[in-house]
Amino acid sequence: MSSAPSGTHNFKVVLLGEGCVGKTSILLRYIEDKFNDKHLTTLQATFLNKKLNINGKRINLSIWDTAGQEKFHALGPIYYRNSNGAILVYDITDEDSFGKVKNWVKELKKMLGSDIVLVIAGNKVDLEHERTVPLEEAESYAKMVGAKHFYTSAKLNQGVEELFLELTREMVERFEQNSQTEVNRTSRVLVVEDEAPTQSSCCSGSRSN
Amino acid sequence: MEGAYDEIISDNPFFIQFKNEYSNLLQHCISQSWIICVPRIGSLNTRVFTVEDFCAHVLVPSDELPETHYSTLTEKQVTVANKVITLEVTKGLPLQSHILFEETFYTEDYIKYKVWCVETPLEPNTNVGDCAITKDYLLSINDCIDLLWTQAAGRQVLDQIELNVQQFLKKHSPLPIALAPLRDAISELYTQCLQSTLQNRRLREKCKVSKHLLENIKLSVECYMQHLLFDSLFKPICTICAYEDSHLNKKIRNMCDIQLRDLDIKKELYHAVPKAKQILSKIVTYNTVLEKVLCLKQALNAINKKDNSNNVVLLTADDLLPVFVFLLIKSSIPNWYSQLKYMKEFRFSEVGNGDCDESAFLITTLEAVIEHIQSGALAGPPNPESYYYESNLTEDNLNDNGQRKNSLTESISTCDTNSREETLEYVFDLIKANNSEQVQYLLEKNQRHLQSLQQNERSAVKFAENQDDDDDEDDDEEYETEIYQKLCHPLCSCKKCCSKISKNLLKTSPTVSSRDSHGLTPLHIASIHGKANIVEILIDMGAKINATDLNECTPLHYAASRGHQNALLLLLHSGASINQANIDKNTPLHLAVNNGHMNCIKALIYFAEHGRKNLKINCTNEHGNTPLHLAAKWGYEGIAKLLIENGAEPSLQNHNNKTAFDYAHNLKILQVLKLSTPNLYEYIHITSTEVKTLNCKTDNPVTLKLQSLKTRNNETNNVTKTVENLKRLERIFQAISYGDVKLACFYMNIKYENYANTNITTDRLSCHPLCECQLCKKTHQTISDYDINFADSNGLTALHYAARYGLDELCKILLLNNANINSSNRKGQTPLHLAALNNKIMVIRFLLDNGANINAIDLSGNTPLHDACEVGNIGATKMLLNYNPNLNMINGSEKSAIEVAKEKLHLTIIDLIEKHTNKIK
Repeated sequence: MSSAPSGTHNFKVVLLGEGCVGKTSILLRYIEDKFNDKHLTTLQATFLNKKLNINGKRINLSIWDTAGQEKFHALGPIYYRNSNGAILVYDITDEDSFGKVKNWVKELKKMLGSDIVLVIAGNKVDLEHERTVPLEEAESYAKMVGAKHFYTSAKLNQGVEELFLELTREMVERFEQNSQTEVNRTSRVLVVEDEAPTQSSCCSGSRSN
Repeated sequence: MEGAYDEIISDNPFFIQFKNEYSNLLQHCISQSWIICVPRIGSLNTRVFTVEDFCAHVLVPSDELPETHYSTLTEKQVTVANKVITLEVTKGLPLQSHILFEETFYTEDYIKYKVWCVETPLEPNTNVGDCAITKDYLLSINDCIDLLWTQAAGRQVLDQIELNVQQFLKKHSPLPIALAPLRDAISELYTQCLQSTLQNRRLREKCKVSKHLLENIKLSVECYMQHLLFDSLFKPICTICAYEDSHLNKKIRNMCDIQLRDLDIKKELYHAVPKAKQILSKIVTYNTVLEKVLCLKQALNAINKKDNSNNVVLLTADDLLPVFVFLLIKSSIPNWYSQLKYMKEFRFSEVGNGDCDESAFLITTLEAVIEHIQSGALAGPPNPESYYYESNLTEDNLNDNGQRKNSLTESISTCDTNSREETLEYVFDLIKANNSEQVQYLLEKNQRHLQSLQQNERSAVKFAENQDDDDDEDDDEEYETEIYQKLCHPLCSCKKCCSKISKNLLKTSPTVSSRDSHGLTPLHIASIHGKANIVEILIDMGAKINATDLNECTPLHYAASRGHQNALLLLLHSGASINQANIDKNTPLHLAVNNGHMNCIKALIYFAEHGRKNLKINCTNEHGNTPLHLAAKWGYEGIAKLLIENGAEPSLQNHNNKTAFDYAHNLKILQVLKLSTPNLYEYIHITSTEVKTLNCKTDNPVTLKLQSLKTRNNETNNVTKTVENLKRLERIFQAISYGDVKLACFYMNIKYENYANTNITTDRLSCHPLCECQLCKKTHQTISDYDINFADSNGLTALHYAARYGLDELCKILLLNNANINSSNRKGQTPLHLAALNNKIMVIRFLLDNGANINAIDLSGNTPLHDACEVGNIGATKMLLNYNPNLNMINGSEKSAIEVAKEKLHLTIIDLIEKHTNKIK
């Protein structure tokens, strides 16, 4: 969305998801191989910056962790406005957290349209034996809303690197596309409307809280 | 963070050469995931590098400690700690270099490798290039000024910005009271400032070379501009945000007794809160956005530190938000919304970056916190008592909370001593649940029991004396029998019966006057929760209306602070004392104002008016604040208006010598305060120090009177009289400046005609103090309600003005009306000074003839002669010399009058004075 004259892309990425799904762990894992644990004292776990250079394109990622507790749900728009990408995290052992992801997707699509690149992350694959969110359901849902789906484990350092790399590539692509032509948004919006009725019960349930 | 170093590594000559000429080595490094260090651009002055140079900059992680220990390809040992690379060298001190930033590179096949941009080359003996880079971070306005000063080699850039700001303020006065035009205007100014800064050739050259410097210059210019502009800029912002601020304040005030545990804050963070609070409260003292954001960051870092057991406490957003909510509520800063808007909208140097830096994150966090407080999500259900109820819970009874609520609905069958029914808590819970019947039943029953116990004692004695005398105890018949039937015999004293009786005596059933550990009575609880019907019942049952708890708060205090109008009115009508002060000397009115409960304030005022009670509207609390101070501080416009309409006095000072004017942080409130002093625009600018100097003029009878009035706060009439006098003075001054003596006399209630035709000899005022001749009579005749020596905020009296404008006729009239001829204004100048300064020869003569002190000195030590010499008034000097002034007096800069004249090269004057000295000799 924004680019310094030097050609460096500045991208804002928000991490969304219910509390305890491991948003912060993913973020820390991604940054952690930068410095060892001792340095974490000086790090904010809520805001991190990372400079990337992909094929000569400079990208400055600002990753914002958001509050996951339900009482802070209303603050979402303040955090995700102007963001270029969103990582929606759920816990594969917790079906509710996947429902929350669906809510977020709907909300993001409604508020930001297709300007935002979505990536869905099923975290805690190290607990595969306790899985309650079916693999197929998650993947087909991600496909339907036009998001990439990743399985991650912050504990085992699986998939985190790939997740951010893919997201960044997609954002660069989206940015270049946007700057050249007007994007055709209708198809993406239509997708949301298609799946809306199936989600209505779960949305209304959580909204009332 | 702003000002962090950045450069494009792909453009770095070291890196380009590495890539082009030693691509095999680079490929190898990449495949081994070795770290490549690149010295920042400009740190190497050579453009030719050997293979050793590159090898020295490749870090191979060691096997044991891959995170901190490395070796270079030139076999040197390297350690990394806290972003500093330390290189062991064979002789001398180890070489150190900062890691400026890390960049993760991906090849075309997405193989990752890391590049560290380092401050200096990792080789000993290399020639270090240009001077060390400028400060990594700009942390304060001083850093910014420093940067602009050193980079431009002088203060011309700073002067240029100052000039721009001054011109801007002249052009845009007053500043627009709407955010968009205000922002646009300031943004234009910023561009102007930046342009004029970059006109400095030296700076321009430097910025061309270093993008990093350019960014820092931009930031510094913005900061310096904000620093200069802040006072004029922040008031309009506060005015724009007045509505939002006052609403936020009301929300915050009503939550101010919230505790850490109420917000689900992690226990590990408790210890850090006081420190963070202290840091955050400083945010108002900073003028620039940069410093304000930094303050937020520091507050956040304070929370983020290690806990007591030295474990790293990692803050997630879920932990962070409640802490910030708590800090905001406890900070007692009255304009958070304005602060937010200022930070959000007036950061121009970062505009290009969108929302992508840490400052944006911090500001967004603040916005989220404010939004969270505003939304009312914190207070839970809309009725405040439920919130209070929750917040009052301790952790211990948090668990049995649900169970207790359930038990409220259940009827309790057993009646043993420890039954829940018998505890005060249960009664309180019933009150909170608004179960009036149950409350009444319980308390009445317990009351009866208590009475019967007392009577039992008496009757037991009676019993022994007169067994048949039962008639007296009719009232308690039912109860009596209840107990005594249980005994073997009414007079039995067996073990069983004794224990039954003693149990009865030990019963601690709550009554209407019971108190809990905080000294709260049932009436307090009912008032806190606004249960008007229960308040009524309790009052009927004889509850003490003015019972005070630990904080010396009466039920009325609670009803007022919680905004329960009905309960408040009931209490008032039952004789609650309206001006009762609690431990902080707050009256119920203070509390209602502080929490923004308009309805309660109205009720208090209305009741006082109709009940002929004296509501002390200017009552002060422990800090000397009147209710109006509080209303002004929190920006409650409507309340301030109401208070002023009912006689609140805005010019009263608290213990910090601050008036309500000083606390008003936006123009809207100022406007309201001004209501009490109509048409007197000048009054608004009177700060407390000026009020003080006004009061200090002890030789001035009216101000003396005024001073004594101030101690008697209720006499608002007299204060308004002062205000009226000030208004009148303004008109008089205007008349004098037109030279209209008649009009000035009219305003002063002096009959001009009485003096118009009389030929007063200038050398005497009246024939004799007791003289009764025509002339003297006339002089004493005019008894004006206007005090002739009344001074405005600058200490100027009418005589000063008359002297300044050279109206000797008016001077005569004023002196005849007992004007003080030697009264001095704020600068210590007497009327004679002003006459000398303005070369009013006739006035000088008249004043000196009538006893003006020719050697009077003002605050800078100047006599009237000094002034005349300074300005070069020949006539005035001549006239003054006629009256033999002391020529040897020296002023504050240790100069005599003649020296002043010499300095200014007023030759005629020098001549005059020299002649005069010779004559004396």
